[in-house]
Amino acid sequence: MRKPLLSAAVLAMLSTFAAADETDMQAQIDALNKKVQTLEKQQQRSNKMLSKVNAQSANDNIKFGIDFRNAVDMIEYRDHENDTYANNPSLFTSRLYLTMGASPMAGLTFKGKLAVYAVWGSEMYSSDASLKDWAASSKATDTVMRVKEAYFVYSDTLGSQPYSFSVGRRPSTEGFLANYRQNDPEPGSPLAHITNMEVNGVMVRLDWSRFVEGAYTKFVYGRAHQGEMENVYGTGSTPWGPYSLDNTDDKSVDFLVVPGNAYDNGQYQVMYEWAHVFNTKGQQYEDPTTKKAAAGTADLFSLGVKVAGIGDGISDFLDETTLFLSGAYSYYDAKSGYQLLGSSDGGTRDGSSVWAGVIIPDMITDSGRFGFEYNHGSRYWTPMTWAEDTAIGSKIAVRGDAYEAYWNFDLFGVKYLPSQIRYTYVQHDYTPNPNCAGWVDSQKTDITANDLRLAVSYRY
Amino acid sequence: MTTLGKLMISTLIGFGVLSTAVYADAAKGQRIYQKKLKSVCGMSGAVFAAKHTQMEWANAKEDGNLADVMTEACPAGKSFFESDKFEKKFKDDLYDFVHDFASDSGNIPSC
Repeated sequence: MRKPLLSAAVLAMLSTFAAADETDMQAQIDALNKKVQTLEKQQQRSNKMLSKVNAQSANDNIKFGIDFRNAVDMIEYRDHENDTYANNPSLFTSRLYLTMGASPMAGLTFKGKLAVYAVWGSEMYSSDASLKDWAASSKATDTVMRVKEAYFVYSDTLGSQPYSFSVGRRPSTEGFLANYRQNDPEPGSPLAHITNMEVNGVMVRLDWSRFVEGAYTKFVYGRAHQGEMENVYGTGSTPWGPYSLDNTDDKSVDFLVVPGNAYDNGQYQVMYEWAHVFNTKGQQYEDPTTKKAAAGTADLFSLGVKVAGIGDGISDFLDETTLFLSGAYSYYDAKSGYQLLGSSDGGTRDGSSVWAGVIIPDMITDSGRFGFEYNHGSRYWTPMTWAEDTAIGSKIAVRGDAYEAYWNFDLFGVKYLPSQIRYTYVQHDYTPNPNCAGWVDSQKTDITANDLRLAVSYRY
Repeated sequence: MTTLGKLMISTLIGFGVLSTAVYADAAKGQRIYQKKLKSVCGMSGAVFAAKHTQMEWANAKEDGNLADVMTEACPAGKSFFESDKFEKKFKDDLYDFVHDFASDSGNIPSC
C-alpha cells in the first residue's frame, strides 16, 4: 500500500516541477520573443536611418565624381607638297573632370561637369582667340576650371506620351560612337559624326519606345555663338545700355538639332540626327576682309548603326565585340551676296563622310579592348566637331582618310585606372577643317598628321 | 619616336598587362540588362535597380538569394535569373549595376 502512495507522491512532485519548468520555459520564450521583436524594430529603424543618411549624403544634394586623365601626345605633321615637317615629341596634358549629379525627386535630375584641361607648363589663362565657348573645356590649354556641362532634366508623361524637358549646357561632346576612342563608359547625347561641340540649349525629348523598342527623338534648340555686342554707355550716342547687338554681320549662330534612336534593343542600335545651323560663318562674296560674316545656313545629316555583340552566346569573344558604321552628309547654303566654303555668290557646297569601327576584346587583360577605326571625308565635308579631343584636330572632319587604332585597358588591372594607348594617322587630301572657318575654301593638299597618345586616368 | 616616348610606351604596356585583379563591371551589367532583360522586364535598368536600396541588394547577394530578389523585382525574368548562365556569367556584373543605381545610391542614370 505504501509503494503506490509513494509513487503517487513522486508523480505529483514531478508534475509540479514539470509544470514549473514549462512555465519557466514559456516565460523565457516570451522574453526572447520580446527581445527579437525589439531587435527587429531596432534593425528596421537602423535600416531606415541608414537609407536616410545614404540619401542625404548622396542623393538629396550633390554627388561628385572624378575623372582625372594625364596624357602625353607625340605629334608629327608633314606637308608633302612643300616638303616641310613639324612635330611635338611630348605634349603633356592633364584633364580633370569634376562630375556632379543630383535627383531631389523622382523625374527631376541635375547633372554637371566642371573641367580643367591644361597643357603642362602652360599659361594660367589663355587669351587665344581660337579658344571659343564651344570647345574651351575640350581643348588642352590653360589651368582655368570651366563649366563643360550643367543642365537639369524633368521627365513626366502627357497622357500616354512620356516626355523630358531640359535646359542648360548640354552633354553635347563625344557623343554616339566617339566614346570608344575616348575610352569613356557612356557616349554624350548627339551623334559625334556631325556634332561634337560644347553648347547651351533647350531640349525636349519624346519617347517612342511603346511603339518601337528604344526609340526616341530629341529636339534641341540653342546658341553656339553670341553675335557681336557693344556697350553703348559712354561710347554710343544713344543710352540703350549693355548687351546691345551692334547689327553688324557678326550675328548670333543658333541651331536646331534633332537626334534620336530609331531602334535600340541593347544589341542593335540605329541612331539618326539632323542639325540645322542658322547664320553660319562665311564671308561676303569675294571679300575676305568680311570673314566671320553670317553667310547662310548649314544642314548636317547622319545615320549610324551599332552592333554590340555578334550573335547571342556563340562565344565570349563575339559577345564582347562591337561593330559600327556611320554615314553623314553636310550641305552649306550661302545667301545672296555671300559665299560659304568658297562657293559662288549665294551658292552651295556639300560633302559626305563614312566612319567605321570595330572594338574587340584584347585577349590579354580581363576587360581590355582593341579598337580600329576608319574615316573618309570628301572635299567639302564640313561637320561641326571642333570639340573632338584629338590633339592633331578632328579626325572625323578629315577631308581625306583617317586610320586609328587604340588599346583601352585598366592599369594594373584596376578598374578605377582606365588607360589608353591610341595612334591616329590622318591623310588630308584637302584643306583641313580644325575650327569654324566657313570663309575658307577647300583646296587640294597633301598633308599627313599622326598622333600617338598615352593616357592614364583615375575615375571614380 | 624619341627614347623617352619608347620608354613611356613600354612602361605603359608593361603595367597594362599586369592585370591580375578581376572586377565585376557595372557598365557591363547595364549592357547585359539592356540586352537580356529590358524588354522582358518592361522597365529601364534604372527603374529595376531602384527597386531596392544598396543594403538590400548587398544582403541578397550575401545571403545567396540574388536571383530570387531579382525575380521578385522582375517576375518575367524568372527563367533568366534561374539559368546557369546567370549564376556563372552575368550575376556579378548585374549585381554591380543594380548596386550602383540602387534607390539610395545617389547615382543618376544618363538622360
